[in-house]
Amino acid sequence: MRIVIVDDEDLARGVLREHCEHHPDISIVAECRNGFEAVKAVAETKPDLLFLDVQMPKLNGLEVLELLDPVPAIIFVTAYDMYAVKAFDVHAVDYLLKPFSRERFEEALQRARERIVDGTVPDFSAVARENLRHAPAVERILIRDGTKVHIISADAIDYIEAQDDYVSVHSGGKAYLKPEALSGLEASLDPARFIRIHRSYILNIDRLSRLETYAKDSRIAILKDGTRLPISRKGFDKLKDLL
Amino acid sequence: MHPLLKDRRALLLYLLVWLAFALMLAALMAIPGRISTAAALAFTAPLMLLYAFVSLSAWYICRAFPLATTNIARVLSANILASALSSVLLLAAALGWEEVIQWLLPGTGTPGWEMESLPLLAAAGVVLFLLASAVHYLLAAFDLARTAERNALQLQVLARDAELKALRAQIDPHFLFNSLNSISALTATDPPTARAMTLKLADFLRLSMSYGARDTVSLDEELSLARSFLDIEKVRFGNRLGIELDLDDEVCRCRVAPLILQPIVENAIGHGIAGLVDGGTIRIAGLSRNGKLVLTVENPADPGRPRNPGNGMGLSNVRKRLSGLYGAEGRLDVSDEPDRFVASISFPARSV
Repeated sequence: MRIVIVDDEDLARGVLREHCEHHPDISIVAECRNGFEAVKAVAETKPDLLFLDVQMPKLNGLEVLELLDPVPAIIFVTAYDMYAVKAFDVHAVDYLLKPFSRERFEEALQRARERIVDGTVPDFSAVARENLRHAPAVERILIRDGTKVHIISADAIDYIEAQDDYVSVHSGGKAYLKPEALSGLEASLDPARFIRIHRSYILNIDRLSRLETYAKDSRIAILKDGTRLPISRKGFDKLKDLL
Repeated sequence: MHPLLKDRRALLLYLLVWLAFALMLAALMAIPGRISTAAALAFTAPLMLLYAFVSLSAWYICRAFPLATTNIARVLSANILASALSSVLLLAAALGWEEVIQWLLPGTGTPGWEMESLPLLAAAGVVLFLLASAVHYLLAAFDLARTAERNALQLQVLARDAELKALRAQIDPHFLFNSLNSISALTATDPPTARAMTLKLADFLRLSMSYGARDTVSLDEELSLARSFLDIEKVRFGNRLGIELDLDDEVCRCRVAPLILQPIVENAIGHGIAGLVDGGTIRIAGLSRNGKLVLTVENPADPGRPRNPGNGMGLSNVRKRLSGLYGAEGRLDVSDEPDRFVASISFPARSV
């Protein structure tokens, strides 16, 4: 079995490595010190199982989860995280609480092996959603581009466009594709700054330059960079309320 | 505006009291027998109702010359002057009202009785105004006592709140469980270091528990707590964590509130170093200047970290404790730059 260990602390990785050494069939294909390395390593090595620390610099474990595709079997590892642990329990996600015993490790590993054989995957997206509920509005959007991760801060977003099963995040003249629903993104962004002006568009209100009216109920938003976006009637009502 | 004017029921009650005064005054006027009490009441009732409102001005006098901060001679002279002026006003109103009565109902009563009543009316004006003023002073004193009581209660709540938060902050669960995990890792690979770390953790827990029960500690003691905390974190983070201390002996002898620096140091790790892939160095500096002690904790930070403006980094507890302990002289200043976070606290330097 090929596994990847992700933890920012050397000693914490050491414990996992030590426990893995008791299993001759396990080979550690990568050890990562942060979320970026993890996303890259998973894309490159396609492991069967990931030990994923929740608290890490840059990208935490749940953010890493959002960027993995395909998602391997995962055992989360955390010292203390009330909300995450609750969500793990509810959605039958495997996790280890630091410090953990050899027995506890073996138990989690055994369950993960069974999952790999059955091909059952817990509802990770529900875990990520629940994690978001306890966080304030999203301040950045994470987008994976092959083995690279782009972090776009909310301030840098111009507007977001729906494109089939993807959203296209426009920032500074570039567009980044992310497999997500526009409505999901709308719910997680700060509603005081990001307005759903149309079925297919979310606008960063700071980028709005002016509105043009063509006919009754037909309006267009002109952005500071000259981009023109359609505004639906409902979108216009929302804009009116905000301005 | 006078608070009584905002409360209809209280105002009605107040005017009823003045009608009682009017009745008393009418009865006094009727004693010589030149006029009936009822006729006198017709004269005094409107005057007293008017005077009821004039007397409310005692409120302003009571506020302008509070008993607590004004010398008693000034309070007395202000009140006597105000009552005399009000009384003159009352007399003028009485004369005017008499003209009106004469004009409306010529020949009522015995002519001239009103003139005889004027000295009585003037005296009543002075006495009633002073009475109103006395009641105002009394109510103000009650108010003051109630406000003082509420403030004391609020301070007490704040102090207990701070204590509770401080107690909880003493043992940050992240810190505790991660440290135990490090020990667990070291027991297999490096038993002597594992043992050393257990002892450091014991030191840290013992110190923070004993400080929590004390009123003040020396800065040196507070720093030894921070040092034992940082020593443990150093094992966890390895060379991701650097530590620099810049404090001289004199500063270290100052007395500080226990656990006032600790949350800031923990913040510097939790929101600073822990968020950096390659870590960085925490700098703790202290200096005493113009009778004030200034302690600064500086740490590098990830520019992409989540920011919560206003609160700095969850240091509101420290800020509240400082202002509870030292009032305006206790401050927490935060400089939240993209790649650097600096928190500094300052308060009066005391060495005993």
